[in-house]
Amino acid sequence: MNESTILETTDLNLWYGQKHALIDISFQVPKNRVTALIGPSGCGKSTLLRCFNRMNDLIDSSRIAGGILFNGNDIHDPRADVYAIREKIGMVFQKPNPFQKSIYENVAYGPRIHGVNDRKVLDRIVEESLKGAALWDEVNDRLHEPALALSGGQQQRLCIARCLAVEPEVILMDEPCSALDPIATAKIEDLIIQIAREHTVVIVTHNMQQAARASDYTGFMYLGKLIEFDETPRIFEEPAEELTENYITGRFG
Amino acid sequence: MKKEQAAPVPFPGFGRLQRPEVGADRASAGANRHLTDLIAGKLLFFAALVAIAAVIFIIVFLLRDGYQIVLETGAWNFLAGQNWNPAGQNPAYGVLPLIVGTLLVTALAMAIAVPLSIGSAVFIAEIAAARTKAAIKPAIELLAGIPSVVYGFFGLILLTDWIRIAFDQPSGSSWLAGSILLAVMAIPTITSVAEDAISSVPREFREGSLALGANHWQTVKNVVVPGALPGISAAIILGMGRAIGETMAVLMVTGNAAVIPDPITDVFSPVRTLTGTLGIEMGEVAFGSTHYHALFGVAVVLLFITLAINSAARIVISRIQGPQGTARPTAHRAFVAAASRIAHAVSAPFGGVVSPRTSQRCAFFLISLSVVIVLAALGMILFGIVVNGAGAISWEFLTGSPRDLGRAGGIFPAIVGTFYLVGGGLAIALPLGIATAIYLIEYTAETPLTRSIRAAVDLLNGTPSIVFGLFGFVFLVIFLNFGISLIAGQITLGLMILPTIIRTTEESLRSIPGSLREGSYALGATKWQTISRVVLPPALPGILTGAILSIGRAAGETAPIMFTAAIFSSRFLPSSLTEPVMALPYHLFVLTTSIPGATTQSYGTAFVLLLLVLAIYLAAILLRCRYSPAKV
Repeated sequence: MNESTILETTDLNLWYGQKHALIDISFQVPKNRVTALIGPSGCGKSTLLRCFNRMNDLIDSSRIAGGILFNGNDIHDPRADVYAIREKIGMVFQKPNPFQKSIYENVAYGPRIHGVNDRKVLDRIVEESLKGAALWDEVNDRLHEPALALSGGQQQRLCIARCLAVEPEVILMDEPCSALDPIATAKIEDLIIQIAREHTVVIVTHNMQQAARASDYTGFMYLGKLIEFDETPRIFEEPAEELTENYITGRFG
Repeated sequence: MKKEQAAPVPFPGFGRLQRPEVGADRASAGANRHLTDLIAGKLLFFAALVAIAAVIFIIVFLLRDGYQIVLETGAWNFLAGQNWNPAGQNPAYGVLPLIVGTLLVTALAMAIAVPLSIGSAVFIAEIAAARTKAAIKPAIELLAGIPSVVYGFFGLILLTDWIRIAFDQPSGSSWLAGSILLAVMAIPTITSVAEDAISSVPREFREGSLALGANHWQTVKNVVVPGALPGISAAIILGMGRAIGETMAVLMVTGNAAVIPDPITDVFSPVRTLTGTLGIEMGEVAFGSTHYHALFGVAVVLLFITLAINSAARIVISRIQGPQGTARPTAHRAFVAAASRIAHAVSAPFGGVVSPRTSQRCAFFLISLSVVIVLAALGMILFGIVVNGAGAISWEFLTGSPRDLGRAGGIFPAIVGTFYLVGGGLAIALPLGIATAIYLIEYTAETPLTRSIRAAVDLLNGTPSIVFGLFGFVFLVIFLNFGISLIAGQITLGLMILPTIIRTTEESLRSIPGSLREGSYALGATKWQTISRVVLPPALPGILTGAILSIGRAAGETAPIMFTAAIFSSRFLPSSLTEPVMALPYHLFVLTTSIPGATTQSYGTAFVLLLLVLAIYLAAILLRCRYSPAKV
């Protein structure tokens, strides 16, 4: 790959207790592109995603070996500030998880915890972020109503806005559409393509059409291993591995 | 795995200043919040340490002194001895009659309370119209908060007389009186928890049964109640715990003779319970004597009974929370199978022989009848106290000091004393309890150590309040030489409600989904930022509800203060923490049991105490409604 790389793993291995969840994973995520990770349930794609912002730190039984570089820096460096890493590598979860606060406060939460208290600045960040998540037009007249009153699709876009508000370089998305209906899903997919102009997006998905439609690169994972990683059209049209071909043609999964 | 790098520190934090206007702001926030996070963690750890040390200290303290009686009399003589006579020529310390008394009173109480409670729960959950349900459910929860000394007062002036006359007995103070009173006390608790369990059976189960053509009663009997059985069992165990731990009401009506009824089914025989023994004898015991050690032995027996009840509850609750369809240890299965067999046996007369329609009519009639009985019993108590009590209320009664041993004058010092005691207890328990719960839930993983801490907290949570009274009396009043004082009472009450506050706060924190914490961490928030801004705000109503219920309990309790803080008659308010105080529940207790001719004042005191406690509980219920999850 000749594009610039933002995230890179070398011989990444991860265990949950006795379970070897990720095995020798080495690949590079290109900057400002959408990278999709596909594979059957339990193949480790979400686990891999959670390695990039060190969310696996929160799981006590997990143990990790191998390197992950973000912009050339080891994210496991003892001197590294895990909170700063998560500020730069944001995450959107499978189920929308807005805080039990107003729409405005959900988006303002990130900037606030990172020390922004000026009301005018916050107002601007909230507006920009909600516009960036294509939600502004739907909610600008009720910013101070509870976020949980929004529909599922709106909640998920709110979570994306919340993520955009801290200006991450990378946005990790863990099956962001799996809890949504087709119309809401289409909106999020459009949004992903739009966001990728200025951000790197890594998306885990169950839905192969979604990977084909919305991503530039695709990795196929199976039983904890990264079987194949290439440009999306190649993976879907002429995969190098038989396993990949079997999966995308629906022979298992 | 970690590569050595000579490069400058990666991710120094907040270096990217894309918005120049916020630059300076953010850089300093970066350093501060790490410090805040660190300090918050340390403070929480320290608070948790203090609370946990207190919990463990109480348990060890009781066990240590209780073990002495085993050395002095021998384990067998103590546990199986049939004679309890510490004041006699040849003192005897056989605790068997007390254990038997406790078990008999509790068993009969449960036999009365369980059918009525479950009938009421089924009525509220399944039969009542939405509006009726909205009225009855909070009313029953409210009744769970009536102080036991109020029940005891009622039992002593009406129930024992009724038993004496109706059954032509020399005295009405008996096993039966204790059981009826305990049943009335346990019914609100059991009904409320069982109703929650029945209401939480998924609608799909009901629909599945109704779609097969089953009628309402068949669905309730075969699908809903079996589905709610673990919750119903937990409710019964909870009610049983409350009945076993009750001191004041039982002490006032059971006659307190340490004998095993002969024959064992003689419900009119007087009995004495473990808790009653502590309540009666604690004040007059000589420090360090065999009698003293025997009372600790009694407390330890109570502790073990609590432990057994807790373990039973834990097994039942793990049955509820465990994943569906996995194999359970046989003990659980046997328990649940036995319970469902009993449920079937009870309902059998209504099935098979008669048509489903008739059996439904019979069943619903009995269920409605049980609600009527429960409401009538509770209504009668409330009505009697309100009607007679309201007559006793006057400006002088509320603002004056007692005269003539409480037969005249007012109860102002008792009202203020109660506020002092509860306020002090809360000031001790609330910060410690909340900090401990936060530490346990948010900072520790599930390890054997945290599991044993939880077990210790649970043990004290279910421990009868009289045991706290014993601890407070011996450790604070005598050993630390505080004397009978406000501060000793405040600490005792604080220790009593500490486990409750820890548990309710833990439950409340646990109900906040992990996904919210992840959402916050994923934005780069520190632990303390996540806890204080994302986890605590939605958990607050639950924490406050727990705190308010603790206040209600502390205000109504007599047993923990009667030997640590309370005096019967005082014309003055305490001027320092080392002076004793009057308190409403203790005042009512003494007026009722020791002062002839003070019935009007008793009613008045009971009425004021009732109003105070019910107002506190009402606040908790309103708070919960105001912040119900639907409204965010």
